[in-house]
Order: sequence, then C-alpha cells, then structure tokens
Amino acid sequence: MSDFRITLRPALGSAPRPGSRGLSITAMPEGHVVQVLGRPHAPDLFGVLERATGAAHRSVRAAGPGQWFIVGDAPLSRDEFAALSTALQPHATAVDQSHGRVRIRVEGTIVERMLAKGTAVDLDPGAFPVGTSAMTLLGHVSVHLTRIEIAAFEVMVLRGFAESLWEDLVRMSVEFA
Amino acid sequence: MASLISCPHCGARPKEEFTIKGAVLSRPAADAGHQAWTDYVYLRDNPRGTHREYWHHTSGCRRWLVVTRDTVSHEVGFCQDAAAAKLAEVRP
Repeated sequence: MSDFRITLRPALGSAPRPGSRGLSITAMPEGHVVQVLGRPHAPDLFGVLERATGAAHRSVRAAGPGQWFIVGDAPLSRDEFAALSTALQPHATAVDQSHGRVRIRVEGTIVERMLAKGTAVDLDPGAFPVGTSAMTLLGHVSVHLTRIEIAAFEVMVLRGFAESLWEDLVRMSVEFA
Repeated sequence: MASLISCPHCGARPKEEFTIKGAVLSRPAADAGHQAWTDYVYLRDNPRGTHREYWHHTSGCRRWLVVTRDTVSHEVGFCQDAAAAKLAEVRP
C-alpha cells in the first residue's frame, strides 16, 4: 500500500492563459487517450477500429504504420476500456495512455503560420486536410498533430512535456497578438 | 549532411526527427569466427559516394528505415522501411 494517496491533477491546471487575439490555446479535457498497436504490415485496420470505437464520442487518429490513438473528452471506465480492448483483439492491442498524454487545442486563422515555426510538416489544408494526423517534432518536443477543424489543431504531447510545450506555444503566438 | 529525408510513411521530414544508426551490414552467424565479429562490431568503412544506413524515425512514425545517401553530394536516394528492405532481400 502506498503511503501517498494518488490524485490526478490537470497537467496544465496552473498554466497562464495566453492573451493573443488571433490565436487561442486551450487545454483539452483530460478524457482518454488509448494507444492502439497493430502489426505494421498487416491489412488496414481502420474498419476494425471504427467498429471498436462505436458511436461513442471518440475519434481515431493515425500515428504511423499500424499505430493509432483513440481519443475522447470523457474519462474511460475500466469496463469501457476492457470492452474496447476486447473489440480490437486479435488484430491490435490497446494501451491506456490517458494518464500519460495531454491534448492542447490551438485555433485561429493563422494557426498554420504559428505551428510552422516549430514543425516542418506541410500544414496547408490541401496537403494536410481535416482529420489528418502526423507525429512530428514541434521545436524539440515530440508531438502528435491532428487537424480537427480547418483552423484548429490538436497537439497531443507526453504529460511531462505539456507545460513546456504550452510555454513554447505561447511564445510562438506572441508575434500574432 | 542530408537535411530532408523522405520517410516512406510520413513524407519529407527534417533530419532532426531521425537518429542515424549506422551502416547496413549483414550480421554474421552466431558461431562465426572472432575476426568476423570484430569486423561487424567495430570496423567501419568511410565510403565516398553512395552509402546505405539505418535511420530511425525517432520523432515520427518510429519505424526503422534504410536510407541510401551520397556522402559527397548529400543527395538522398531511396528510403525504405527496414522491415520491407529485409523482406525484399534475397537470402541464400
């Protein structure tokens, strides 16, 4: 038995809110992030993933060959995770990463210009349409980028890097304030 | 040094996202002689021209790649997933 009671605190709870007019940076609800690992050269699992996630408010994000993230705003109960995990068998393995990854929403008409300061991925809507994801470096921090709307991106990062990335994002957006 | 690597999974990415893991060599048999293992572990050529290396896309898809690049012109040639490269290899 641990001597300490483990309490979950929001990773970005104390982060100051940026004051830029053209851009908004917001911490997304710490719901759930499930990493899905399949075999890299296996047939496409998107159908299996769609069925496993069902109609619940969850999204599937690609993260490289045979890898996906299933994300949602509501916390996942133990039973829900077990059901999801079972639905993916035997094609893929689900790993609960809800405690380990934090999502940040960056939004604004010039959001690509701001993110282009940190990443080399072509973020033009033609090359990176809504729903596209990419694992990349943002500055020195490894992130998972998804275009969730035409002028909004979700930046998913390891929890320990969240505050540092937040500061980077704020600094990157100062020019547009 | 080559600055843009066209990852077969992610597209063109800067070299900062990758880790270079060295020349593509075939591993000797477990019972190969001392000399063969010394060569494999320690001795490297420093080629002028075309060079095949293992690159790891550390900050991207996390796949191992085989990158062919020119050490003189810095030109990056063929980039392939290492697993695919191994499958394509003709084995005796």
